[in-house]
Amino acid sequence: MMALRKYTWIGLTAARSNLAYLSEVAARTVFLAVILYIFLRLWQVTYGDTGATQLGGLTLPQMLWYLVMTETLTLSAPRVAPEIDQDVRTGALAVQLIRPLSYPLARLWSTLGERLVRFGLNLVVGAAIALLLVGPIAFSAGGLLLFLLALPCAFTLDFLGQFLIGMGAFWLEDTSGLLLIYSRITMILGGMLIPLELFPQAVQPWLRALPFSSIIYGPARMFVHPDAAFLRDLIVRQGLAIVVLSGAVALVYRAGIRRIHANGG
Amino acid sequence: MANSNPIAVQLENLSKTFELRSGWGRNRIRRAVIAVDGISLTIPAGQSVAFIGPNGAGKSTTIKMLTGILHPSAGQAQVLGYTPWRERRELVRYIGAVFGQRSQLWYHLPPRDTFELLARIYSLDRGSYVRRRDTLIERFGLGEFLHTPVRKLSLGQRMRAEVAASLLHAPRVLFLDEPTIGLDVIARQELRDLILEWNREEGVTVFLTSHDAGDIERVARRVIVINHGRVVLDDKVSALRRQYLGSKILSVKFHAPPAPIVLPGVTTLKASEYALKLEVDTRATPIEQVMAEVLRAGAVADIAIEDPPLEEVIAHIYAGGSAPEVAAGDHKHA
Repeated sequence: MMALRKYTWIGLTAARSNLAYLSEVAARTVFLAVILYIFLRLWQVTYGDTGATQLGGLTLPQMLWYLVMTETLTLSAPRVAPEIDQDVRTGALAVQLIRPLSYPLARLWSTLGERLVRFGLNLVVGAAIALLLVGPIAFSAGGLLLFLLALPCAFTLDFLGQFLIGMGAFWLEDTSGLLLIYSRITMILGGMLIPLELFPQAVQPWLRALPFSSIIYGPARMFVHPDAAFLRDLIVRQGLAIVVLSGAVALVYRAGIRRIHANGG
Repeated sequence: MANSNPIAVQLENLSKTFELRSGWGRNRIRRAVIAVDGISLTIPAGQSVAFIGPNGAGKSTTIKMLTGILHPSAGQAQVLGYTPWRERRELVRYIGAVFGQRSQLWYHLPPRDTFELLARIYSLDRGSYVRRRDTLIERFGLGEFLHTPVRKLSLGQRMRAEVAASLLHAPRVLFLDEPTIGLDVIARQELRDLILEWNREEGVTVFLTSHDAGDIERVARRVIVINHGRVVLDDKVSALRRQYLGSKILSVKFHAPPAPIVLPGVTTLKASEYALKLEVDTRATPIEQVMAEVLRAGAVADIAIEDPPLEEVIAHIYAGGSAPEVAAGDHKHA
């Protein structure tokens, strides 16, 4: 109970601290507005040319709201990997060990706190733009609840992936290349630009099985098209991925800590 | 256990060897680097100790072993009765640390928010936390900027808040790594006084590493110099200057131009018409004899005898000057 209180407070402190970055958030929202407008025009052409009212099971307004969510999820990601990379290289990680805290858990909660603020602000702006461009779509309280169940797992999964990349600083000269690959794979295979239903039929099962879709596509799909069966399937996949990646984080973290002498004097 | 132990830190033949590997396959080379080489020392509870040495001497490695971050290759260590690398989680509740170049304060939040967070991290009882916090605010003069975001504080204010934050959970041992780095003269002096005051009044053991001779002189009573992983000197700070170089700085002002002073071991550092600054090697000529000669040289208006600057003493030790015998085991000077 005490431990939960401690880590929750870390999350709250990180959230409060992140409110200081309002100018950065404002800059991101301008980018978000531009991106959403471009995608709206592209999808308008696509829907118009094909003459379809639905693509991948989504209408044009649903498609734009889907993009609002995928862009909001992507743009709300804190810079976890570069920060951990710096902690390793500067020796700040060693300093963290002199506190009654688990470094990975403290990082997880501060990331969740930070992301919550960024996500909330981006979503408000994104939703306002979508309302302006295509109007509302049908939402239900139950559907939003299902979406909110999938969201923390998606954030945790993304954190675990980025944490592993950051820990790579124990062995690699530079982890920015790995982060670039990770972020691009998450964008493309995770369904940020196009829902998985529009990928070739043969690759869809593979894409659904990969953790990237559980970070972006899964929650975004739940947002525009809530479905209890889909949520059950998503939560199982997210849970499995969290177990596997947490195991990997534990192994890599333990191996990294043994090398801490070489970093930061 | 932590509060009642009369010994704060005890090391016995503590050693750490790192294995460096380079190359691949058949060209793979392994090389052992000895970072800490059989250090033994005892620090009584409440003592303030300067642990100094040149870069690469083994200071950080020793501190990392004392805080449980690193396992030693050989030897034993106890901090407040805990074996750091086996009982790190228990130990960290009783130790505090300030790293001059790494902040524990949240940059965009006021110090008060970091204090609140630390109270949760250390699971402090609300009542005792509030009392402790208020005492620290008063003693460290934090009231005027307690609600100001850290990014808007001066470096001196920030460091005062850093040290106060590290004392919030009432640690029994405080590790200070370059706490005054970058501070101006006044802020540096204020911080040293606060640390010293806390050491004396609360009995917290201070383990200081610094390259600033002023920090060592003002805060520490005992100095341990390490080089190449070994203790090369362990003595009182005052004895370090007095015994190691055996020299004094004599500044004299005269009412009239003095006669020249020529004695073995006496060097004129600075001379003007009415003043002299002499360096005296007391092993060549006792200070009393020099004083007598000064009085004979002219009518004295003012005279001051000072120890040589500590920087010179330490630089001499680092340079590998004739090291005195290590007073290993002699820890009566508290």
